[in-house]
Amino acid sequence: MAPSTTLYPRATLKKIVKAHSNRPLTKNVDILVFLNYTLFLQELMKEASIKSKQSGERGISARSVRRVREHCLRKFKG
Amino acid sequence: MSESARKKQRTTPRNSEAREGADEATPYSNLRQLSSVIPKPITPFRRASSAGPTPGSRRTPNIAIRTPGTAARTPRGGPGARPLPACRAAPTTPHAIRALRERANAARTPGHNRRRSGRVQRETPRDTLRDLSRILARTTQPIQPSPQLPELVPRNPAFDLPDIDDGPEPVAPRLSMPLEDMYDDDSIHEAPPRQSLLPELPDDVDTGTIHSLEFGRRALSEDPRMLFSTRISERLADLNQLGIDGEEYEIDGTFINRISAADADQLLDNAIDEPLDDTTTELRALTGRRDGRASDINLGIFGEQDEPDEPTFRFTIPQRIQETRPPEPLEEEGESEDADLDAQPDVIAPEDDATGGLEIGGWESDLGADDDLDLQAYREEVSAVNRSLQTQSPERRVPAEGGPRRQRRELKVSRYGHEYPTFPAATVKRLVNGIAKPQGSNAKISKDTLATIMQATDWFFEQVGEDLAAYAQHAGRKQIEERDIVTLMKRYVTIYVLLPHTAHPHGILRLTGYITGSAKSQ
Repeated sequence: MAPSTTLYPRATLKKIVKAHSNRPLTKNVDILVFLNYTLFLQELMKEASIKSKQSGERGISARSVRRVREHCLRKFKG
Repeated sequence: MSESARKKQRTTPRNSEAREGADEATPYSNLRQLSSVIPKPITPFRRASSAGPTPGSRRTPNIAIRTPGTAARTPRGGPGARPLPACRAAPTTPHAIRALRERANAARTPGHNRRRSGRVQRETPRDTLRDLSRILARTTQPIQPSPQLPELVPRNPAFDLPDIDDGPEPVAPRLSMPLEDMYDDDSIHEAPPRQSLLPELPDDVDTGTIHSLEFGRRALSEDPRMLFSTRISERLADLNQLGIDGEEYEIDGTFINRISAADADQLLDNAIDEPLDDTTTELRALTGRRDGRASDINLGIFGEQDEPDEPTFRFTIPQRIQETRPPEPLEEEGESEDADLDAQPDVIAPEDDATGGLEIGGWESDLGADDDLDLQAYREEVSAVNRSLQTQSPERRVPAEGGPRRQRRELKVSRYGHEYPTFPAATVKRLVNGIAKPQGSNAKISKDTLATIMQATDWFFEQVGEDLAAYAQHAGRKQIEERDIVTLMKRYVTIYVLLPHTAHPHGILRLTGYITGSAKSQ
């Protein structure tokens, strides 16, 4: 992770969450949301790499990600 | 000199066997030279195969003395000649025994001898020519027919001028003939569908419409999603009634107007049914993700969402289907909007407008230019109707609009009507690369994978937003606070991180390390 560049666009993330929740956010919620999102991505990539290795693919293919992502989304469901 | 010697030796038996030898001496000698010089390894083998008794075989050291003697008995001696000495000693294996029997039978049959003599004849001049021809022909054969066939076609009409006139005439009927023949000649088969559905139409001979109408209904009935709702039967009944009502068909009699009339009614039916869906809030999985908060519905949905994603092919395939039978996909659009979260209809609709008119003209020769124009106009109407339907139920339609536009960087609209930007793909890519590398996967993330991850990202934020709103609402707050997301994360942690490690004494330490490590990795 390059520290010099911004980690993520805060305003964009805030807008996204705000639009989906229809509620205002307090100051630092978006950071935690991003943390959650990072964990989700990590989980997703882990599962996808496992899946792709199981199916004998070289890299992580879109198919393996597609297979895995619902499960991962469900994991992160509140 | 050696060649002449070979000739003498070879020709003598051939003259006795074959009559042609003397006449073809000069070309044969030339060919012999070629054959003897070039494919030396091949020649002894072939002589052994067919021309075993010829003196050429005597020269060959491999076959040795036995071959002439055995060859007199066994016509096929060649391939078997070499294994023979070993086999004759002890034909123990069943294969060897069978081979020996076959050889003996072959030797007893006189027909083989004749053929063999024929082979010997062939071998003298023709075999070499054949060898040459085989060598040459394998390269030349594929080339020759391709020019010949096209040439033949123009030549015949060129010689016979009336044929040219006759030619194009049958061509035009050919396109339409099978259909006409089907319905004119086979009156028995024709009768049930036509008379029952559209009694007055057969004069117009627009068979394609009848087919398409039927297919559309079948698709509706066969659609597995539709089977769940009890309303299908009602819809089918309506559709059938609509199909039977032929008033609008009668008036115009053109291909398109009929369909438009029918489909407009069908769309109206869909429009009527959709608000019912909203009010009744059935357990249709697809509506559930938006509306219902029940986890069961969502679980079902996630399973089903896997399917609509994979057929991104649908974006391309339904176009072709539409060209052949226009009404069906339109109905499917209406249904898929009910069913699918993805934005297929939006993608399909504009492409129809672009491609539909042109390609339909190519596909169906019966249609005139006017029909095409009408088709375009009609499809535009349909798409407009669909959009109006979308606006009626924004909650479902919103993600549908959002899907394809993600890449265009346009604002999507959430279920609450708020526009929101897309999460930048560059950030996601950087994150994913940072995550994937320590996991050991060196391969770069492909575009498709990134697109899939981006879609998952959209879903994730959508889910998170809804969950946060639910937590805040539950706490009686209007604002989403950090507590809410902490609660959300706790849920994940307790279920998927903590619980698996509870048996382990250092589970909590691992958990903290897991979180802090991931936080550092940011």
